[in-house]
Amino acid sequence: MGLSRRGFVQAAGIGSAAALTGAWIGARGREASLWSAFEPTLEAVAPGMICLSSNENPLGPGKTVMKAVRAAFGEGGRTPGRYSSTGGDLIDATAKRLGVKPENIVLGCGSTQILRTATHLFTARDKALVGTIPSYEECAGYAEMMGHPVRAVALDGDFRMDLGKIADAAKGAGLVFYCNPNNPTATYVGAKATRDFLAKVNRESPDTTILVDEAYFDYVTDPDHDTHIALAVENPRVVVARTFSKAYGMAGLRLGYAVGHPDTIKKMREWDAGTGTSSLNVLALHAGIAAIEQDATFITAERARNTAARDFTMKWFAERGMKPTDSQANFMFVNIGGPVKAFRDACRAKGVLVARDFPPFEKTHCRLSFGTMDEMKKAVAVFGELLGKKVAAA
Amino acid sequence: MRRSRRSFFDVLAGGRSDAGHDTGLWIAARGREDAQAQAAQGSAVAARPALPPGVKAIRISSNENPLGPGKAALDAIVRKFPEAGRYPFNSTPADSALVTAIATKFGAKNENVVLGAGSQEILKSAVRAFTSPTRGLVTAAPSFENCPQFTKKLGHPVTEIKVDAALRLDLEAMAAAAKGAGLIFLNNPNNPTATVHGSKAVSDFVQKVRAASPDTVILIDEAYHDYVTDPSYESAIPLALQTPNVFVARTFSKAYGMAGLRVGYAIGQAATIKPMAQLKMPYNVSVFGVAAALAAFADTKHMEAERARNAEVRAFTVKALDDLGCKSSDSQGNFLFVETGRPADAFRDACAAQGIMVGRPFPPLEKTHARISLGTMEEMKKATAVFRSVLRPVTTTAGK
Repeated sequence: MGLSRRGFVQAAGIGSAAALTGAWIGARGREASLWSAFEPTLEAVAPGMICLSSNENPLGPGKTVMKAVRAAFGEGGRTPGRYSSTGGDLIDATAKRLGVKPENIVLGCGSTQILRTATHLFTARDKALVGTIPSYEECAGYAEMMGHPVRAVALDGDFRMDLGKIADAAKGAGLVFYCNPNNPTATYVGAKATRDFLAKVNRESPDTTILVDEAYFDYVTDPDHDTHIALAVENPRVVVARTFSKAYGMAGLRLGYAVGHPDTIKKMREWDAGTGTSSLNVLALHAGIAAIEQDATFITAERARNTAARDFTMKWFAERGMKPTDSQANFMFVNIGGPVKAFRDACRAKGVLVARDFPPFEKTHCRLSFGTMDEMKKAVAVFGELLGKKVAAA
Repeated sequence: MRRSRRSFFDVLAGGRSDAGHDTGLWIAARGREDAQAQAAQGSAVAARPALPPGVKAIRISSNENPLGPGKAALDAIVRKFPEAGRYPFNSTPADSALVTAIATKFGAKNENVVLGAGSQEILKSAVRAFTSPTRGLVTAAPSFENCPQFTKKLGHPVTEIKVDAALRLDLEAMAAAAKGAGLIFLNNPNNPTATVHGSKAVSDFVQKVRAASPDTVILIDEAYHDYVTDPSYESAIPLALQTPNVFVARTFSKAYGMAGLRVGYAIGQAATIKPMAQLKMPYNVSVFGVAAALAAFADTKHMEAERARNAEVRAFTVKALDDLGCKSSDSQGNFLFVETGRPADAFRDACAAQGIMVGRPFPPLEKTHARISLGTMEEMKKATAVFRSVLRPVTTTAGK
């Protein structure tokens, strides 16, 4: 494994199936830091830039959490010098909040650690990863590096996950990565349809594990909305991934978790040497406890704030003939009618950062995260300047 | 027990924290690896040993810097509070700036550096990348247990070479055992024995292994590098950058005082460390960890002061134990390995009963030696007083 895969990944465009995954991975921006030792290309967000590129909560974690971070420094700021055992408390607090048991939860250094572990654990040279294209690329990146096959399933005409095709591809596969709402397309599959899909995969391919990534769960406003945690704790083949990086506003702290059946969670913990918490920093652990225990109004307020920014931005594009997909997240995927790279570079020059390319839609569709309403008002002014001619021509 | 900490004031008032007053007790009594393993399972908080009223536990069990991060690092974290919601690649500076700072310091390129969530991620990735059912791990006994524990868990073979009579790594025997091995773990200074090998001994060892077993990867763990005062010692980083299949692991958890922040790295030739880069978690170091590490890296004066502080405490503690008839190995770390002449767990429990939490047992020397981390001078004065009572020779009639 290893070295040759890297070259392979970079050389997007060789072979057919290979080209699909290769391009999928090679075009990434965010995941360049998977290999940041080799590609130190990502730049810090300079002060004053409007960052609409990484699906973050623009307001951060809020007062309650930052107060807990402050307290975690301890007397004289000495506590960060100590190894922490607070992971157990965070697991307890999370379990209590979700109504599950501690043995149903494994923590991760962001849900990225969860995704990595699941890919390593559940895929193999003869057990493929199944995902949609485009989707969040991390699982595919790891599978690709390890030389495990990746089956990429195209979305339907509405940029939704095509459940029938995914279920077909899942037969005999090791892992299905089911990101709902899907990143980057922001589309959402309702709770009932997802339940039916999970049951179908279980029935038709009983050894296949399905990783339901609920990273954007808190931003969904569709009434047919529910978590699949209750199913996961009963079903060894379903794991739900969650993160504090999105609605909880803690992307910089690196904290996520998975919920599942105790046997599955045990396997995931053991893959990480039974010390799943050794990758978690003490400030994140205390922040996580505060975040999960804080009043639920934090999330309802953040959802409402995002929904307002989302409605405003989607309406702006729709009124100019550029139709976004039906976003249920804190970002949208919109047809801007031209290559995203040129648009991205032009936006950057005017102080707005938009997301990386998402093949196969890099010639037409841009992913935009929602900042604050104030930021979105400034951003659409920039978009108006850059896309105005195009709109007029159309 | 639930936390009730909700403000700085609560912590000062005795609310639970990790600062070694409360959970620390429990961790110290079990060893931090156990604590982490149990923490990973949830419901971590176990019963605390009872202490006499007014006695505050002193945690000298995990080779931590008792003062925590330096002021520059703490200030850097606080300045990043507004960026808590940003991914580390979006923060200012971004995580790649830490990679660049490390590379620059050692005259290397970014491709020579892989960041880890602590050096533990580096060690785990190394075991996963370089050992197999047919190519095992060679390590010392006793040495830091992470690599052999994880290798055994994967079902890959482990060869453990006992330290020599001076409690130094037996480099000759380790080199002889290296033929056909996947990975050699060379901890220099060695935890728990605290001894160090000079640069010539290390480079001779590397050349010998390279000649006998060129495919074997040599991991030189320099976690305690900054505490070494022996003039014959030098970092193996220049050697690693020149030599295929050799890399050095470093951590910010020890002298930099950032164990809780989880920042470490591997440095070596790009081809050597690539397999670990591929196993690396994305964005594995937090925005705060990046900022603190960068600030600490730049604050060389603080590091000199920390090394001097530790050396002074070390000399004091070595002498105090020597006066009790207990010899320490030649410590080049922030901990001592002491021949107490009694089982480590009995010594640990006797000290714990008086609020002094010392290190876990280290087989094969668990019947005779204890590992004692070095706290502040004030803490070690209290600790040595307890050692005096615990280690007092039994000469009363009751003992005859």
